[in-house]
Amino acid sequence: MPQKVVLSLDWWSVIAALGAAAIVKLGFLPHVPW
Amino acid sequence: MNRSTTALLPGIVLLAAIGYLGKLTEQTIAAYGRTHHQALPNIEYVLWAILFGLVVSNTVGVPRVCRAGVATYEFWLKAGIVFLGSRFLLGDVLKLGGLSLILVLIELAVSIAFMTALGRWLGLTPKLTSLLAIGSSICGVSAIIAAKGAIDADDEEASYAIGAILLLGAFSLFAFPAIGHALGMSDHLFGLWAGLAVDNTAEATAAGALYSDTAAKFAVIAKTTRNAMIGFVVLGYAIYWARKAKQREIGNKAAFLWQKFPKFVLGFLLISILSTVGAFSKPQLTDLANLSRWAFLLTFAGVGLQTNFAQLRKQGWRPLAAGAIGEFAIAGLTLVMLLAVNRTFGL
Repeated sequence: MPQKVVLSLDWWSVIAALGAAAIVKLGFLPHVPW
Repeated sequence: MNRSTTALLPGIVLLAAIGYLGKLTEQTIAAYGRTHHQALPNIEYVLWAILFGLVVSNTVGVPRVCRAGVATYEFWLKAGIVFLGSRFLLGDVLKLGGLSLILVLIELAVSIAFMTALGRWLGLTPKLTSLLAIGSSICGVSAIIAAKGAIDADDEEASYAIGAILLLGAFSLFAFPAIGHALGMSDHLFGLWAGLAVDNTAEATAAGALYSDTAAKFAVIAKTTRNAMIGFVVLGYAIYWARKAKQREIGNKAAFLWQKFPKFVLGFLLISILSTVGAFSKPQLTDLANLSRWAFLLTFAGVGLQTNFAQLRKQGWRPLAAGAIGEFAIAGLTLVMLLAVNRTFGL
């Protein structure tokens, strides 16, 4: 049986942040206000 | 959405609500000052979010249903640091990282030696002393958790060390900016000091943000460099304890180092490289900086919500005393070191 890969919190934070950066880059997100 | 993700939602909503309340409070006070032509002190949302979190955690307590979600504050912290990479050109990261690395190596040597001597003097167990030394030299909670398994310490020893680091982290949030202002420190100098001397990454970032936006940037760089050293220090301790217990030593040291290396540092570097080569336009860079602020907003609410003084008090005074004396000494030594470097080389 293939081993299940469990990603650490560290990796998830990197994936989420890079995903959001890609969305910003591609222009899918309107301006993010603060 | 699966069940474990759904279980996180109430806590994340609580983080967002408390963080946003902090932001609203800052804006409301500023607007009141403007309309009434009064010069009110500008208290950053960071402090409000932490304070509101502390109030909830130490009065009504964090509802059980929210606990899992509140614990995600570390995820938001790391994501926020990755986004922050967009505000650094790679050259600056390397320059600042190089300078921080030299300072971090000195800080590591001094704090490990100091905490070890102090732990022995206070009669703490050798493993608790090791945990406190690791926690105060590198990065608080995650370093202690990483080291706990590696040196085979028990849960109680780890929770003592974590309690001491968290309590002192909460204290330093208020003490560091006050000292920085009293000494008239520049944003750059203060940021480096917070990053080198405050133990937990969330508290180090918050202490920097309480001083200024620029100080937060420098605090994150110094702290991230410190975090990157985690594997080496934990490996050193693991080898020491394995030899002492005559156990089998760690086989693949490179794999061990990679396993302990904080991966969010890679994300931070990648975003910084992309920004340096011009992958993002100016408005997109602003968007990324704002995403970082939102992520930190959740983090700071989590810092307050995770700190429960009654629980920390149960840990006993010895680990706390060792932690407190150690932290004060390390904070003082780091400050002297930075002031000396600043005078000699001009930071």
